[in-house]
Amino acid sequence: MDIRVPRLGEGAESGSVINILVKEGDKVQKDQTLIELENEKAIAPIPSTEAGVITKILVKVGDKISVGQPIVSLSQDGAAAAPQAEKSQASSPAPSGAPQQSPSPAAPSYSAAQAPASYGAPYQYQSAGGFAPPASPTVRKMAVDLGIDLTRVKGSEGGGRISMNDLKAYILYLQGVAFSGQPAAGIQAPKAAAPLADFSKWGPISKKPVSPLRKKIAEKMHESWSTIPHVTQNDEVDITDLMAASKHYAPAYEAHNVRLTLTAIVLKACVQALKKYPQFNSSYDEAAGEIVVKEYYHIGVAVDTEQGLIVPVLRDVDKKSLLEISRELGDLAEKTRQRKVSADDLRGGTFTVSNLGGIGGTHFTPIINKPEVAILGVSRGSYRAVVRDKKIEQRLIMPISVSYDHRVIDGADGARFTRELSTALESFPSAAMALDKDKGSKGAKTAAKAAESPKSKTNFKKSKVLVKGKR
Amino acid sequence: MNAIKTDIVVLGAGPGGYAAAFYAADKGKKVILIEKETRLGGVCLNWGCIPSKALLHASHLIKDARESEIRGITFGEAKINLDKMRAWKESIIEKLAGGIRGLAARRNVEVITGRGYFEDSRTLRVETSEGQKFIQYEKAIIATGSKAALPSAFDLGNPRIMTSTEALDIRDIPEKLLIVGGGYIGMELGTVYSILGSKIVMVEALPAILAGADPDLARPVIKFAEENFQEIRTGTKVKSMSTHKKNIKVVMTLANGEQKEEFYDKVLVCVGRVPNCEDLGLENTKVKTNEKGFIIANEKQQTDDSMICAIGDVVGGALLAHKATREARIAVEVITGENSSFKDVIIPAVVFTDPELAWCGLTEQEARAKNIPIEVVRFPWSASGRALTFDRPDGVTKLIIEPETERILGVGICGRGAGELIAEGAVAIEMGATVTDLAQTVHPHPTLSETLMESAEMFFGHATHAYARSKRKTPEEVHA
Repeated sequence: MDIRVPRLGEGAESGSVINILVKEGDKVQKDQTLIELENEKAIAPIPSTEAGVITKILVKVGDKISVGQPIVSLSQDGAAAAPQAEKSQASSPAPSGAPQQSPSPAAPSYSAAQAPASYGAPYQYQSAGGFAPPASPTVRKMAVDLGIDLTRVKGSEGGGRISMNDLKAYILYLQGVAFSGQPAAGIQAPKAAAPLADFSKWGPISKKPVSPLRKKIAEKMHESWSTIPHVTQNDEVDITDLMAASKHYAPAYEAHNVRLTLTAIVLKACVQALKKYPQFNSSYDEAAGEIVVKEYYHIGVAVDTEQGLIVPVLRDVDKKSLLEISRELGDLAEKTRQRKVSADDLRGGTFTVSNLGGIGGTHFTPIINKPEVAILGVSRGSYRAVVRDKKIEQRLIMPISVSYDHRVIDGADGARFTRELSTALESFPSAAMALDKDKGSKGAKTAAKAAESPKSKTNFKKSKVLVKGKR
Repeated sequence: MNAIKTDIVVLGAGPGGYAAAFYAADKGKKVILIEKETRLGGVCLNWGCIPSKALLHASHLIKDARESEIRGITFGEAKINLDKMRAWKESIIEKLAGGIRGLAARRNVEVITGRGYFEDSRTLRVETSEGQKFIQYEKAIIATGSKAALPSAFDLGNPRIMTSTEALDIRDIPEKLLIVGGGYIGMELGTVYSILGSKIVMVEALPAILAGADPDLARPVIKFAEENFQEIRTGTKVKSMSTHKKNIKVVMTLANGEQKEEFYDKVLVCVGRVPNCEDLGLENTKVKTNEKGFIIANEKQQTDDSMICAIGDVVGGALLAHKATREARIAVEVITGENSSFKDVIIPAVVFTDPELAWCGLTEQEARAKNIPIEVVRFPWSASGRALTFDRPDGVTKLIIEPETERILGVGICGRGAGELIAEGAVAIEMGATVTDLAQTVHPHPTLSETLMESAEMFFGHATHAYARSKRKTPEEVHA
């Protein structure tokens, strides 16, 4: 039998073979990694779906292969493996014989709960028997009359049946596309890129191919930038006290082998602001005419890797302690830099944070990570002379920028959210930074100690705000 | 030449032709309907569906009466008056044919009795008893149907060699009857004649009778034939027939290669049907026919001549009245500018044997041949209370299911009343219903329709009246 490329996940139909971990004659176990496949966002290990001996390797490093393509031929000795193979063959629904086991099984192309349909990606109904998509005669008649190809319409009912509402939603989607001037999902923009000048005329050049990741970034950025009306709201956050407190607590985190970073604290503050302004934690479903507000807080964090930008998602930020967030953030960033994140790690974000503070600069215009509706850009904090209580003081000021989707969020709310975020950071409760063993009497003492710290003269006053912030 | 002008002319007044004429008239067109026979209704009404069902009803009555002894009811041996039976059958046809004529009149559809012949793509000449009439039309719909094939080797001009047309006229009950062809027509007529008292030998060239149906569905019908016919010979070819006094001498080659020579009182030839395409003047139009003589029409029922559509048996496919009627609607809708086509249309098939055999959508053997992944569930009628009340547990209801989506792709039923029951299967498939939809629709008790619901329940291992190992989880169980 052949082991084939499984379904890799949403929008990932193909990838390049970057590593072959087995050779012909090798005995492999079920789930043992055969090859590593690089697709747009990640390097995916492709496991064997069966145990057996490799009789032939059908790909080589550098091959671009897609879902359903055979990777290796496997001979299965021993009766134990055989019936299982038969079973998987017999129950395999797709004619391509794609194995059902896959490292990141994508959602089936239809599910009962999938209503209303949305069309982020091109949809194509497929039937192993070559049947037309299920729909009542009334729906089919309407589709024929309107010249709609029902294989493009997502059915929301049992067995993928297309209801009249599904057809209407699809028509609304097409209409939306028609009037937005954007190409529909799956339809290539007819405009071809204009040929560039021969740059070598003016001096030496070098060329390198666009990597799958770069291509994906380019597509994604272009789509987000050209379909979402962006507004960027800038603000400045006084993080003098925050940094003092974090410096104080950092050693305790280090004892856990965890680095307490500003990004982790920013994530926590974001949850506070997102809870107060839930429209920032939503998606705009044009086709269904709905704003989908998420009641979970999965925040994407832009990670700068050698190959380019990748945004892994940290789940349930609201439910995690700062220690957990810091630890996971470190792990996730490391995994991302090594390009070991799974496709699942990249999905399901509700808001994104891009922290360029480590590099420098003041404000910038982050691009929203569609289908999210807002993104926070953090720039480098610097000491500035600030007038407080009629006195000039040296304060640590951090510029932040929030880009938001103006279709969903009005300007006033954009400003309110940004201010809320600034306040959340300025009055970040130091108790939230304290680790379990520091809590209680000792925690109170350390907080008091921080307040007495001679480094920040206004800390006494600030601690009142801290108390307020704890409410 | 003084031509009659009309929007649409329909050639042939069978279930395709009159449906097309009426629908076009309902849509406001001026329509002329041409029929060579004085009685409207075509083969279906005159020499097909309707008379055969009348005769089958009469024979079921005889059979039921004979078998009623176990119910404590004893009748005497049936006395059969063929003249009266024929007259009764004719009265039904008259009533229906009269009804069609009445409906035509009320729609202002002009009916002309005569043979139609295309002079060119825009003109039809009709030979009537009052002489020639010329009709100039905008669009023509050919619905001339088909007739029983009688290979020239069998066509001796001897009335003892019949096709279904003559057999339905039921002039006598031959003692020894040979039926050549084990398709649905041969089986239906064999059922009638065997109950009326003929000793029947059926020969079929293919290795099985009712070859189009799934073998498990055909089995109860074949069992009936085995018990009520003298013999069934599959893989057997008739070599020649000749007149021998008051008999027909038949030479056939059996499946084992052996030659057999026998004498029969009558022979019924049911080896297929041929389209009525000759003498229509098609050569004066751009209409093309295929190698079997059927008119080539696309899924919009358009022929190669832009002025002419064709529907029903004359275009081939399933030679069934209800297929013709659907095609009639498509042809008229296309002519009147609607966007209709004969695509993904389910055509149920019914064989009115004893028991009846019916199916629609995908069959199991078609799925196997095309390697389409399916799951099959069968509900035996021995578990149906209703079937037992009339002593017919020899039925089965089965569903052909798409495994991934649990969508119903095909339904097959064998058993008394299967022809009525199959309509629910057709609705289910046309609606894209899933097994859950069928299982969760309450069916009345005690009826045979429950077998559809229970076969759906069987898919989940939940049928009340049959025990089956659980195949699937219901959606509730999956989500639990």
